[in-house]
Amino acid sequence: MGLLERQFEENVLTTRVDWLLNWCRLSSIWPMTFGLACCAIEMMAVGCAHHDIDRFGAGAFRASPRQADLMIVAGTVNFKMAERIKRLYDQMPAPKYVIAMGACATGGGPYYKYGYTVVKGVDRVVPVDVYVAGCPPRPEALLEGLMKLQEKIQRSSVLRRPARTA
Amino acid sequence: MAEPQTLPQSAPGEREFMLDVRTQDMEVNMGPQHPATHGVMRILVRADGEVCTGAQPHLGYLHRCAEKIGENVEWLQYLPYTDRYDYLAAMNNNLGYSMAVEKLMGIEIPRRALMIRTICAELNRIGSHLIAFGTYGLDIGAFTPFLYMFREREWMMALFEKICGARLTYSYIRIGGVFNDAPPGWLSEVERFCDTFEQKWQEYVDLLMVNHIFVQRTANIGVISKEMALDFGLTGPMLRASGVDWDLRRDMPYELYAEIWKDGVFSIPLGRGERGTLGDCWDRSYVRVMEMVESIKIVRWCLGAITPGPVIADIPKTLRVPAGEAYVGIENPRGELGHYVVSDGGKVAIRCRVRGPSFTNLAVLEELMPGALLADAVAIIGSTDIVVGETDR
Amino acid sequence: MDFRGILDRLRATGAPGLLGHDLPRAADPKDKKDKGRGGDPFVWVEPARLPAFLERCRDDERLRFELLIDLTAVDPSKDDPNLWVVVSLLSLAHRHRLTVKCALPKDAASLPSSVPVYRAAQWHERECGEMYGITFAGHPDPRHILLPEDWVGAPLRKDYVFPDEYHGISCK
Repeated sequence: MGLLERQFEENVLTTRVDWLLNWCRLSSIWPMTFGLACCAIEMMAVGCAHHDIDRFGAGAFRASPRQADLMIVAGTVNFKMAERIKRLYDQMPAPKYVIAMGACATGGGPYYKYGYTVVKGVDRVVPVDVYVAGCPPRPEALLEGLMKLQEKIQRSSVLRRPARTA
Repeated sequence: MAEPQTLPQSAPGEREFMLDVRTQDMEVNMGPQHPATHGVMRILVRADGEVCTGAQPHLGYLHRCAEKIGENVEWLQYLPYTDRYDYLAAMNNNLGYSMAVEKLMGIEIPRRALMIRTICAELNRIGSHLIAFGTYGLDIGAFTPFLYMFREREWMMALFEKICGARLTYSYIRIGGVFNDAPPGWLSEVERFCDTFEQKWQEYVDLLMVNHIFVQRTANIGVISKEMALDFGLTGPMLRASGVDWDLRRDMPYELYAEIWKDGVFSIPLGRGERGTLGDCWDRSYVRVMEMVESIKIVRWCLGAITPGPVIADIPKTLRVPAGEAYVGIENPRGELGHYVVSDGGKVAIRCRVRGPSFTNLAVLEELMPGALLADAVAIIGSTDIVVGETDR
Repeated sequence: MDFRGILDRLRATGAPGLLGHDLPRAADPKDKKDKGRGGDPFVWVEPARLPAFLERCRDDERLRFELLIDLTAVDPSKDDPNLWVVVSLLSLAHRHRLTVKCALPKDAASLPSSVPVYRAAQWHERECGEMYGITFAGHPDPRHILLPEDWVGAPLRKDYVFPDEYHGISCK
């Protein structure tokens, strides 16, 4: 870490502000308890002992959007729900992230053609950071989605406002 | 034994005081994003202080047009959509739809296929009840049993993955049989699962079913009388918990169930009002928990009787279903799952109606909630064990 | 009881509004276009007297249909001037089922509500009403149930046109 490295005593670490803040953020992403459909069961499986999302610091499912950083849209979104999702997203404090879990949330999935009430992708309502494929995705796939999100958070900087959360 | 919980009307003097206090009705909105509504249901609860005076469920937050899709895609193409309305018991949905189409086509199903179908349907019933019971504990404040139940469910899902490649949405039971034969060693692993499950099942009973706090929260709450259950058209565990002895597997047997019942393999658990009143929330949980053991017995019977043979009847790639209409109701974990299909002899159905048990079972909520305490609302909703994918379809 | 027995009982007690019945039949070998009909038998009932008919089914000692299992509708085709309302009944005491059908003209789709007879019909009628544009006269709560309140059109009719957008969200 440049000039300051090894200038102090041993129990002092030097790092960039960006790295520190991003590390804090990515290590404790609190998701919102927000199951919509079939994918929610796999999301529950991720939270349970076998797959254990807590290993990535994202196991504290919050019931209130005001305490959450991450919205995992797990399932089909229809028009009646879309307005609520928008509102829930607006209630979340920044920085906030969205994972579209499964084919339905990504682009309408099997309901694309004849689903008259289905929103063809949750990205028509709220901005999405990571798309997870599958119908429903395996728990491992959701965990990879989470890791991808952590990589994305690691790349962000405090000086530039992240464009997505404006 | 739990004390019967009644509305606040203890001492005479106090009661007069209560009458004197004027409180305003308050509307509490529950959902669609609420951890205890099992998905995206919204309930508008009207409360007078701590007591509910009315409840109005709002559905349709997961309406996915399954019935319209059924009228637009081919018969076999519709099968994956059946997985997705009751996603906790996808095997049973596959079974119901396949049986309705088979009834119109008049196909003879190979015996080995019937066996594997029964094993899968019963295993899925266990999986569904595990979630129902586990999340019910979660709803009323017991987190740990939920983790225990997911442990067994993960194993069950691994079993399904071995046989069909999917964890949740199987599309395994096809029109005419099942998609493929069980892989080598699968049946013996099912047997091992049964052995383990029977031991673990005792844990659930000890952990939650007879737990004093659980009993306090559920006994005498949300009582559904026999007459009310019939009037609202309830089916499945909801009906049996009210003491009505009715199970389609015994009373209108389909597939192999007539044979299994004749062998005296399983029994039908009924609510008995053991800890409170007949038809309360505790009874509904009790029926579900007891059904899991009965399902294990059925699986064991099938494992003992299964013989080698073909697993799917000879059917063409593009089905043409003879004209006519058929209604088939099967015993889903939640009640009677009905498929009503109408065909004009073409490649596509004219009508593909799904009668979801959760939809009908949920209607009773409007009647149950008035008079209950606000804190018990969650206990009542959880005990109906709905899957929103099915109420909204 | 099988369907024959139920039908005979309905006729013997003079069930209100009973018009006729339809049985599955094999194809006529002389007529090449005729493919026959498979599946379940059902009875035709006059729509205006459906609640009275259901009440008879419920209260008759030999029939005793305690449960209304399903109430739905069918749009047979674009060219057909009629809709069918289909009711499935189940008797726990006698272990039999009955399918009841009414034909309704599409341009004046209205019939009396069956809620006073079976409360199970309440939600089924709401769903059926919004999906097919059927009015159930005397229904206690005739709001939409699955669709939003301001939804236009009856989606399960065969001539339904899919919407382009809803509240600013594109459907394409």
